[in-house]
Amino acid sequence: MSQNRVQLLEVFRNTATEVAEKDFQNIAESTAISDLGIDSLGMLEIIGSLERELKVHIPDEALAGITTVKDLLNAVESRQNA
Amino acid sequence: MRLDPKHVAPTLAQAVRDLGKQTERGFVFVRADGSERYIPFAELGRLAERRAADLHARGLRKGDRVAIAVPDPDEFVLSFLGAVMGGIVPVPISPQLTFKNIEGYHDTVAHIASAAGASLLLTTQATRQYVDPVVPRVESLRGVVTVDELGREDHGPIDVVVEPDDLAFLQFTSGSTSRPKGVMVTHRNLAWNSESFMIHGLAKDSSFDKGVSWLPLFHDMGLIGFVIGPIFTDIPVVFLPTASFVRNPRIWLDKIHQHRGTITYAPNFAYALVTKRVKEKDVADLDLSSLRRTGCGAEPIQARTLREFAEKLRPAKFDPRSFLPSYGMAEATLAITFVPRETGVRVDVVERAALEAGKALPAGEAPPEGTAAELVNCGRPFPEHAIAVLDEQGKRLGDRQVGQIVTRGPSVCAGYYREPELTAAAFVPGPEGEVWLHTGDLGYTVDGEVFICGRLKDMIIVRGRNFYPSDIEWVVSEMPGVRRGNVVAFGVPVGGEEQLVVAAEALASEAEALAGAIAKAVLEGFSLATHEVVMVPQGSLPRTSSGKPQRRKARDLYLSGTLPRARAVLGKEPTPDETTPGA
Repeated sequence: MSQNRVQLLEVFRNTATEVAEKDFQNIAESTAISDLGIDSLGMLEIIGSLERELKVHIPDEALAGITTVKDLLNAVESRQNA
Repeated sequence: MRLDPKHVAPTLAQAVRDLGKQTERGFVFVRADGSERYIPFAELGRLAERRAADLHARGLRKGDRVAIAVPDPDEFVLSFLGAVMGGIVPVPISPQLTFKNIEGYHDTVAHIASAAGASLLLTTQATRQYVDPVVPRVESLRGVVTVDELGREDHGPIDVVVEPDDLAFLQFTSGSTSRPKGVMVTHRNLAWNSESFMIHGLAKDSSFDKGVSWLPLFHDMGLIGFVIGPIFTDIPVVFLPTASFVRNPRIWLDKIHQHRGTITYAPNFAYALVTKRVKEKDVADLDLSSLRRTGCGAEPIQARTLREFAEKLRPAKFDPRSFLPSYGMAEATLAITFVPRETGVRVDVVERAALEAGKALPAGEAPPEGTAAELVNCGRPFPEHAIAVLDEQGKRLGDRQVGQIVTRGPSVCAGYYREPELTAAAFVPGPEGEVWLHTGDLGYTVDGEVFICGRLKDMIIVRGRNFYPSDIEWVVSEMPGVRRGNVVAFGVPVGGEEQLVVAAEALASEAEALAGAIAKAVLEGFSLATHEVVMVPQGSLPRTSSGKPQRRKARDLYLSGTLPRARAVLGKEPTPDETTPGA
C-alpha cells in the first residue's frame, strides 16, 4: 500500500470512530460497509466528516457502487488526484 | 354537511391554481452542489399542469395511482403536483439510499406499488436501475417513466374536476416493514390540516415568512409541512437535499441565515446532530435571529436536546421561544397539536414510578436523581378538532391519567387503502357517528394540553423512522443459534435520541459471534443500526405469566444495568451460572 493509502485508511478509521462513537481501529480495506454496523444515514455522516477532513467532495452517484472500505477509499483517492 | 376550511382553498388543485399569478414568491431548490433553482408559484402551477396532461396522454385517468420514487426535490414536487392536477393519486416512495440493501429496497417498492395498485412508476435516469427490477413483480404496473420525459411535449389543457372528498395522495407509513399501509389523504384533509398548522399554528405571514427544510419529501412532515401547507397559504420555501444535511448539518443553519428563514421543522434527532457536529467557531458567523418558528415533532421530544441546541446556537441569536414542540401523525394528515406561539419548550416533571403505573404526578422540587421524568408539552388541538385520552376499555380518562390518545376532526384521514380491517381497528366511530383516530400513542393531558409518554405497541422510532419491535424480533428469532421467540427489541435514549437494543437468548458459547450476526441481519433487513445486541443466558428474559418475553421489563433491566449477560468464552461449554435450566 502506498503511503497515501495507509494515511487514508487511518483517517477513515479515526473519522468513523469519532462520528459513530464505536471502535473502528481494526477495520481493513477489505471490510464490507455492511459489516460496519452503521445505517445509511450514519454512513453519510462519516462521509461528510471525511469530505471536510480531506477537502474532497464525493457526489451521490459515486456512492452507489461502494460496498467496501476499499471502494470508498478509491473514490476519495481519485478525487484527491483530480 | 361537511364544512370547507375558512381561510384556504378547498382542494390542493385549487390552491395551485390560485397561485397562478404569483410570480413574487415560490420554491427554491438547493442542489447537492450548492446551486439553486428558483421556481415561482405561477411557474410551478404551469409546469404541474403540463405534467398532468402528459400523464393523461399516457393513459392515466382520474383516480389512478402513480408511484413516485424521485430523489431530486424539484422533480419530486413537480411530478407530485402534476399527478394531483390531473386528479391522479401520487404515491411517494423513498428513493434508493446509498448503502441500503438493494433486495430490501426492491421488496419495499414492490410492496407499496402493489398495495397502491399503481399503474405507473416515476423515477429519474439515475435511480431507474433501482426500480426497474421491481416492474415484473407488480401486476398493476404498466411501466417506468423517467421524469425528464414528463411534460416534454405540450398536450394542452385537460378537463379534470378535483373535489374536496377526492383522494389527494396515499401516504405509506414507514411502520411495519412486513406490511406498509397507505393512509388515504383527501383534499379536504389537506386543506383543513394546512389551515390548522399554517394559520392557527404558525400564524403565517406571506409578506415576510419563509420556510427552510431538508426533510425528505416522501414523508408527511416534509411533504405536507413544507410543500402542501405553504402552497395552500402562499409561503415561499427553500428546500435542501436530506443527504446534504446529514453530511454537513451546518448547511441547514447556513440556508436559514442566507435566506432569512423564519420557519423550520425537524425531528428531535436533527437538533442533537447539529449540537454534536456544528463547530463553535462556525456558529459565531451565523445570524439566526430571523427564525420565529422552530418546530419539533415526528419522534419523542427530549427537552434536554432542545436546551442544548439553544445553548449552542445562542451566539447566533437563536431565540429559544421560537421552539414549537408538536404532535402529529400521518393518519391525521400531519399535525394534531401545537403549543401556543412563542411559549417555547415547557416541561412537566413527574414521578417516574407513578408514571409507569399510569399516573402523571408532579414531582416535588429537586426530586432525587432518577426518580423523575421530564415530558415536553406538545400543546393543544386546532379549531374543529379534538383529542381525548382513553383507558384500555375505551373509557375517557381525566387529566394526568395515562392512556391512549385519540383524535377527531376534519384532518383525520379516510383510513388505510384497501385495508378494511386495519382501518376499522384505528378509525373508530364515536357515539355521534364521528370518527376517532386511535393513535396508538400513550399520553396524558393537563388543562387540554397533551404530553406524549410512548407508544402503546412499543414502537421504536429512530431518526423519524418507525419500527415495530415484532418485525425485528421475528427476523432475529429466525436466525440459527437464537432460541426462537426468545428475543426482544426496544428503544433506549442514547445521547438525546432513540436507538435500538436487541436482547436475545442463546447458548453462551455462541454469544459473541451471534451478537455480530444479529446486528448485521437487522441492518440488512431494516437499514437500521443497532446500538447494542445483548446476548442473555437462556431463560433469563423477563416474561409475562403466559411466558411471552416482556419488552418493557427487559428495557427497564437494560437501563438499570441489571439485564443478565451471557459471557462468551469461545470453545468452552457454558457454566451453570450462565444458563438457567428448565427455561
